[in-house]
Amino acid sequence: MTILKTENLTRHFGGLAALDHVNMEIRENEILGIIGPNGAGKTTFINVIAGIYLPTQGKIFFDDQDITELPAHKRCRLGIARTFQLVRPLPGLSLLENVMVGSLFGKGLRQREARKKAEELCEFLGLSNMTRDITRMTALEVKKMEIAHAMATQPKLLFLDEVMAGLNSDETMEMIALVRKIHSWGMTIGIVEHVMRVIRELTHRVVVLDWGQVIAAGAYEQVSNDSRVITAYLGEEA
Amino acid sequence: MQVFSKLKQSNYQITIISIVLATILALWKPHVLIEGLQRGCLYAVIALPMALILGIVGIINLAHGDFMMLGAYFAYFLNVHLGTDPLVAIFPALLAFFLIGIASYRAIIKYVLSSPELNQLLLTFGLAMVIEQLANLLWTSRPIKLPLRYVSASATIGSFTFGTFEFVYVGAAIIVLAGLLLFLKHTSTGQAALAVGQNPRGAKLVGINVDRTYLFIFSLSIALVGSIGAIFMTRHSIFPLVGAPFTMKSFCLIAMAGIGNLMGILWCSLILGIAENFVLSFRGYAGWADILFFALIVLVIIIRSRQRQVK
Amino acid sequence: MKSSRYLVYIGVLIILLTLPFYTGVYLLNVMDIILIYLALALSWDMLLRSGQISFGMAGLFGVGGYAAALIHLNAGVSPLLSIALGGLAAGFLACLIGMAVLQLRGMYFAIVTLALAEIFRVVIRNLPDLTGGPEGTILPSAIFSGNSTKTYWLVLTVAAVSVIASEIFRRTRIHFALTSIRNDEIVAKSSGISVFKYLVFIFAVTSAIQGITGGAYAHIYGFVSPEGSFSLDFTLLPIAMTLLGGMHSTWGPVVGALLLGVVSEFLKLKIPYGHLLVYGIIIVITILFFPQGIVGTIGQRLKKNHVERLAS
Repeated sequence: MTILKTENLTRHFGGLAALDHVNMEIRENEILGIIGPNGAGKTTFINVIAGIYLPTQGKIFFDDQDITELPAHKRCRLGIARTFQLVRPLPGLSLLENVMVGSLFGKGLRQREARKKAEELCEFLGLSNMTRDITRMTALEVKKMEIAHAMATQPKLLFLDEVMAGLNSDETMEMIALVRKIHSWGMTIGIVEHVMRVIRELTHRVVVLDWGQVIAAGAYEQVSNDSRVITAYLGEEA
Repeated sequence: MQVFSKLKQSNYQITIISIVLATILALWKPHVLIEGLQRGCLYAVIALPMALILGIVGIINLAHGDFMMLGAYFAYFLNVHLGTDPLVAIFPALLAFFLIGIASYRAIIKYVLSSPELNQLLLTFGLAMVIEQLANLLWTSRPIKLPLRYVSASATIGSFTFGTFEFVYVGAAIIVLAGLLLFLKHTSTGQAALAVGQNPRGAKLVGINVDRTYLFIFSLSIALVGSIGAIFMTRHSIFPLVGAPFTMKSFCLIAMAGIGNLMGILWCSLILGIAENFVLSFRGYAGWADILFFALIVLVIIIRSRQRQVK
Repeated sequence: MKSSRYLVYIGVLIILLTLPFYTGVYLLNVMDIILIYLALALSWDMLLRSGQISFGMAGLFGVGGYAAALIHLNAGVSPLLSIALGGLAAGFLACLIGMAVLQLRGMYFAIVTLALAEIFRVVIRNLPDLTGGPEGTILPSAIFSGNSTKTYWLVLTVAAVSVIASEIFRRTRIHFALTSIRNDEIVAKSSGISVFKYLVFIFAVTSAIQGITGGAYAHIYGFVSPEGSFSLDFTLLPIAMTLLGGMHSTWGPVVGALLLGVVSEFLKLKIPYGHLLVYGIIIVITILFFPQGIVGTIGQRLKKNHVERLAS
């Protein structure tokens, strides 16, 4: 069952096509890797799906519903959530409260239920001392908070944008285990990563973007041996 | 590309429509056309310096109109104490207000350039209040006017008479607009200023002294708007709050034309001036002229936000 | 810890309620003014928490005043009801303006609000049959026939309403929405918050409070006029009070209103022309030197001491 489908998805910034006629699908309960060199359009893709940018051209279907014109907050309520590559915690709110923003507005829970949900998520992700200020967190904790916040909106489709960046080996393993757990609950996950180990271990399928276009799609072994993909990452062979 | 050819098309359309409308007005209500032109140019000379600050320094100066008011009082006192004609007072005003601009920038404005827009708005609002109330304190709210004979100069074409002195505004608008365009496009300081306006960090990397540019542009803007006050007071009575409406109208014009579109600001100013005079020409409805700019800016905002839907 | 706080609140409330029984008319009138500015300051702060500045308090205050006065005069509605309706009118008007203008926020919104007072003045001056024109309209009598105790209780109620509203905005999900919208609209949107709807809602509610305050003021003083009802005071003082006391809190504007309200009375006697200068200076100085205001700065100090104590 396809949960997300894009048709000729295009997004221009000025003269530059950050996304260029992207046709792709995400199947329910799969973990899809989205990879490509820097500037390929991976984060733009997430932004367009999430509704932060409207596409210049093309359509987006979520659960067979055309959401191309839908504003971002409505897409969130339908079940699309994402983390931010450059983390954006909200100052003035504690760790728990940051997560609560997601649970309060994602599905409109009442404050008490929203707080409980947020606490559960923080515990699940291994975040202790939830009432503390967000200025006193480690990099790993901030990333976990981002994930908790996104999950608090109770999504069906979750995009993780480079959540493994800057983590050491142990932390990466912990994160991989967490993502697997989340997936086991029935979540569909789109994961943008540069760390290939993560892609190899977690994903069922991979889509490769370069210059806003899909240049390859398939299982990781297949895609990593594709000459176009290698060229995109490493440049032309001498 | 596509966007440009569209613009050109609409430019031709707009020019043709304007010529048609202008001709209609010239025949039906020539007063409206002439006086609207003059008034529009007054709006333009006041709005252009504000556009300069907004576009290059990136800050909105809510005290803008109040500096004009100060310039008007400056010219008044120069006349009272030294007998200087206000039009001549433009030159000392330019110098005096350039210095005032430097002082304001160094003492106050500089500190909020990196603050959120909120703080900038509040600060310049506070500054506007300080200037207005200081004027109130020193000179009371009683309007004052200089009796100058040459301001009632007029000419007659056929059966209709119009004031000719107000063409000073037209002259000033042309000089300021042409001067600014030449300065920005053809001098190194001006080009540096444009660069800073577009990308302050990049400009710094290329070795442009961003702070000095901000200082210069800000002071230039204050100098211009102060000296315009001198021209303004020849024809209008002045009082401490006289400048405030011009701040709002200037912003409205900049919003209509788009920040950085200096030429467009002139056109929009003419439109506003003529539209206001048009409303003024109907006896019973004259009082409504003053909300025209408000209707315009709300319209502009609605249109702009529709465009921005493409985020 | 918590129960002693509630005791203090109740104590203060009792003192405020019984004030008329042991103070004179002059002090009650001063309190009236302070409480009116307090309500305005709180309403300004509530919108500020969303990240938007309104310079339109005077405008909506005056609209409420005129609406209350005219509804009372022309429809024979009781003064109290007309005050509530005045608030409704102001809120409704703000809703319309907000829907038109809040798609573009920041300075566009701020400057539109700056123009509001003048726009309303022009409209009122040009509809003399309805509004009494430039001279204004006098009400047949002040509310409660000028009884200063009842007048004080009316204003106290209005102020209490604004305090309660401010606290609701701080303790319910509205607090989360406001903080998200203020700090990062993109995160807010991605969390499912309809930013535009919230902003229009908050603008309408805070404007309604300003309208109710204006309605009360109109009935207390018994007249409305383009100059008096839309006076710059009603925009300038609440801003200065909130900045001085501390933004984004209930206590901040309250402290600011108490301090500056007292100062205002004093200044008006000493410097009849241009005493507003002080407020302009206060705004400039607080923005430049302590944007947290008094309550904010004390709050930060307390937090720092608490943390240092924990660390040692």
